[in-house]
Amino acid sequence: MAEERTVITLICERAADINSLINDKSEVTDAPGVKVLKFPCSGMIQPLMVEQAMKSGAAGVIVCGCQIGDCYYREGNKMIRERLLGERPPGLKKTVDRKRVLALWLSKPQKDRFLSEAKEFLSVVRRLDIEESKKG
Amino acid sequence: MEKSNMFHTLFLVPEKLINKIVTSKYNPLYYHGALPQFIMYVLFLSGLLLFAYYVPTVDNAYFSKNLINAFTSVDYITNSIPFGAVVRAIHRYAGDAMVIAILLHMVRVWFTDRFRQYRWVQWLSGVVLLLMVMFIGQTGYYLIWDERSLLLTRMTVSALESLPGIGEHLKHWFLNGRNITNLTLSNYLFIHIGLSFSLLFALWIHYVRMTRPVITPPPALNYLLVALILLAVYVFPITETKMADLNLQPTNMEIDWFFLWPYWLLSAVGSGGFWFWMVVLLAVLCLIPLPMFYGSKPVEAAEVVTNKCTGCRLCSLDCPYQAIEMVPAPAGSRFKLLATVKSYRCSSCGVCVGACAFDAIDLPEMPDAQVNLKIKELLEAK
Repeated sequence: MAEERTVITLICERAADINSLINDKSEVTDAPGVKVLKFPCSGMIQPLMVEQAMKSGAAGVIVCGCQIGDCYYREGNKMIRERLLGERPPGLKKTVDRKRVLALWLSKPQKDRFLSEAKEFLSVVRRLDIEESKKG
Repeated sequence: MEKSNMFHTLFLVPEKLINKIVTSKYNPLYYHGALPQFIMYVLFLSGLLLFAYYVPTVDNAYFSKNLINAFTSVDYITNSIPFGAVVRAIHRYAGDAMVIAILLHMVRVWFTDRFRQYRWVQWLSGVVLLLMVMFIGQTGYYLIWDERSLLLTRMTVSALESLPGIGEHLKHWFLNGRNITNLTLSNYLFIHIGLSFSLLFALWIHYVRMTRPVITPPPALNYLLVALILLAVYVFPITETKMADLNLQPTNMEIDWFFLWPYWLLSAVGSGGFWFWMVVLLAVLCLIPLPMFYGSKPVEAAEVVTNKCTGCRLCSLDCPYQAIEMVPAPAGSRFKLLATVKSYRCSSCGVCVGACAFDAIDLPEMPDAQVNLKIKELLEAK
């Protein structure tokens, strides 16, 4: 069986406040295997970064911004959303497996929602890993 | 800390609840800036209908049954024109709604910390807009020319007269002469309408540093707002009042707390105190965005990597604060344009980084290369 791969979370520091959830290795304590990288705004996340993470061996990528309509910097979350959906250049490459990208739009107090979604996503991508390794 | 706790109960709780019920697309709290703009259109339209029948005169030199002046024309609109009373009440309650919406906008912008640094132009123009709206609303109350209008006029005159040096001149400007005459009401009408259209100019300054300002709430919210105003119109119809009589001195009036609270202040503390508190209030509003109160570190503007920029314009199109300008590329470049950052407008949000497919723009605090390195580190660490 393949080794258990990591899920990378690219998150806006003003979205769900998950500081209390992560340990000093930037890993979510209750969902080992989910690692977190913070950005000043989700609008800063390039689709290239998502591809890069996948190429470097991530099992999946979670992109998390604030509630749509309430970006501190006005429209960052809308932009990364449109980029992931291919509605705004530069878009995410077609070769990236869409099943392995999760976008979440959570406001500051929604850390529980983040945790449950992250756990579910982790189990989904790991199941995908197993299925794909069986196919060969 | 205290601010964020208050924010939590004041905004986040209702925000969460509303998001659950109507989804974030229709949450009025996400359109707090667009709501006053829509109400402005309601006011323009209802005001246009009222303007068609309004006669800006005092004309009480000859009291006859067929007297036509400001008060009787308002009376005619209210009682004789089909739905005239409704249009008039819409105009009044939409005005109140405007003040409520502006205050909501202001308080929310303050709580969410979206008013300083690269946004100070928006805050200051917002203060000017608020003053304009207040004065427009007050002139609306003068125009009706009932006893309250007369009292308000006399109170304003006494407040203006108390100002040293310029007081007398301001009084002449305000009354359009030395006494209350027909010209006074035409001056009021000019201020009321002229200043209303000047709002558009002030709004331009309010929006000029923002790309794609959100100025139209979703139609569903507009319908809801109009329904709320109509509800107010039918629950609290405008009451009959008495025509102003220049020979009498009315002393009491009903106060519309949204627009007329300065007159309450004026009667409570007198002219000197009134101007003192007004100046204090204005100074506080204007000084709120001063950076020294917040001890925040200055924004480190994004930087263009000159030899990587292809001049594709994506960053300048996506920048939410109009901080990136495309300039002709220097001689010898393969490309026609080069992005340049206006650092005084930059918020350091990184949207331009997300827009760039060539790694040609970076935040000094968090360059692309470092992000990719960190991703690799996270993946390798066990």
